[in-house]
Amino acid sequence: MAQAASDTRNAATVLNVVGLTKSYGGLKAVDDVSFQVFEGEILALVGDNGAGKSTLVKAIAGAQPPDLGRIEIDGVAHQLNTPREASEAGIGCLHQGLGLVDTLNVPENVFLGRELLTQLLPFVSQLDHRRMRERTIELLSGFGISLPRLNDPVVRLSGGQRQTVAISRLLLQEVRLVIMDEPMAALGVEEGRRVLELVRTMRDRGISVIVISHNLEHVFQLADRIAIMKNGQLIGVVDAGATTRDEIVRLITFGTVN
Amino acid sequence: MKSESIAESSVGHADRRWLFEGIGLTAVIVVLAILFILINPRFGTITNFINILTQASFIIVMAVGMTFVITSAGIDLSVGSAIALITVVTFGLIKGGLNPLLGVLFMFAFGAFLGFLTGSLVAHVKIPPFIATLGMMAGLRGLALVHSAGEMHFGLPTSITYIGQGAIGGIPVPVIISLATAVFGAWLFNRTRFGLHVRAIGGNREAARLAGVPVNRVEVMVYVLMGLFTALGGLIMMARIDSTQATIGNAMEIHVISAVIIGGTSLFGGRGTVYGSVLGALLLSMMTNALIIAGVDFFWQLVVMGGIVLIAVAISNLREQRIPLLAHIIWRRPSGGADTKPAQGPAQ
Repeated sequence: MAQAASDTRNAATVLNVVGLTKSYGGLKAVDDVSFQVFEGEILALVGDNGAGKSTLVKAIAGAQPPDLGRIEIDGVAHQLNTPREASEAGIGCLHQGLGLVDTLNVPENVFLGRELLTQLLPFVSQLDHRRMRERTIELLSGFGISLPRLNDPVVRLSGGQRQTVAISRLLLQEVRLVIMDEPMAALGVEEGRRVLELVRTMRDRGISVIVISHNLEHVFQLADRIAIMKNGQLIGVVDAGATTRDEIVRLITFGTVN
Repeated sequence: MKSESIAESSVGHADRRWLFEGIGLTAVIVVLAILFILINPRFGTITNFINILTQASFIIVMAVGMTFVITSAGIDLSVGSAIALITVVTFGLIKGGLNPLLGVLFMFAFGAFLGFLTGSLVAHVKIPPFIATLGMMAGLRGLALVHSAGEMHFGLPTSITYIGQGAIGGIPVPVIISLATAVFGAWLFNRTRFGLHVRAIGGNREAARLAGVPVNRVEVMVYVLMGLFTALGGLIMMARIDSTQATIGNAMEIHVISAVIIGGTSLFGGRGTVYGSVLGALLLSMMTNALIIAGVDFFWQLVVMGGIVLIAVAISNLREQRIPLLAHIIWRRPSGGADTKPAQGPAQ
């Protein structure tokens, strides 16, 4: 882990957040937060309930534009006012509900909104089911995963399989950075382990990941660096290999190591 | 692939699903047909079968459109009234000297326009489909009555009555039209981007929107399509009986919606089958025909049809495991497991 963390120091900065601030009424939910995410690193975002984690990632994902501050992706400043704009800028978001259509099958979910078509006649085209299916198998097998029933509605898949489908959707969009909000919540132990592997595979492919988690065990298994938030402020970003769980708990609770 | 699969928790139960869809319903129809023939051989003549198909034809045409509407998590109660208004107005124009071909084109344009109106009410004014089309149902019927209350129109040119009464190689034109419509509808539903988007907005509108599906535009298009199919159904109907009046198509929406529901399209949206809707229309037409041959009173026919619809929806709910206790007994699987309803709550 420490190795990976120091490697990313030399990597390019994918996301640069400068002075991000978001208030709700008189409350500063996110207060002048600045940090970077490097290419191919996993940054865990931890903090108590109400520390501002979700508000921060919603701003980056375009779901709730910030009041102040700058968001740069690959060195270019972006105004992210909608999820669509964030997605076009290379930021993908894995929501807790995953954003899948339960009644559609796996390839249909992966390609929804970006369908592959074949031209039948001038002005008449139809879905290229075969090519979408093949591309889906390709995407999934890149993760070492095969789903037994690609043609089943995804409602019949397990939680971990649904995660895989949602992540395949993001990969198709060629994202630079994926935001995951509690990806392991509500998964069994084995399923959770698979999702951890999935996240690592994404990192190995050069995709950066911001993951919010309350589970410090997962955080230490996954993260290259850990960002700690308290009362809307970012109180520190530490290398996962150079800290202990005890230290992180104290940072989350008291805001200092001592 | 060298890969491992995440889990094989979803076992064989997807296959059972087909018991009632397509194959299952086909079997039901075949068994019933054999039963009817055994009871009364008169039912089994070729003439009678062609009769059943002809009677089912305009229901099939409209059921194809209704499959899109219901799959998009909508409903259209106004199809019967729309038929009345479209046919009386068109009849009036043609009787007034309008070229029959232009008259037919006018029908489709009128149907599309009415669908556009309904679709806009649903998609843009955000009126729930049930209410929007209930309003259209009353309003369009009213307009038809304003146009020609108490009047019985008849006497179309043969170029139009051919559509309802002609035959090619012994097969009535309405049957050919309805089959062509069904094939086209199935293609549109399963094979095109539009069909996929319809199924997507019915399954999870918000997820579809986030994925970039133009949900409002698709929804309007669904009702425009329904309007076009309604116009076609109306054309077949008025050409077949060479007449129309303001009260025509009364309660037709019940037949059309019933055919779709019997066919296995989910009333909750997202899942549908054009093939099933065709079978549903055939089943209804066949039952009606058998009851007529058996000399059963028309009022009892309505009772039987109502019963069929309720049974079909009950079976559908059972299949989708919406009746927890029964589903548990039949499928031996807990209803709506933890992973079927992902947490949708807001992030912390």
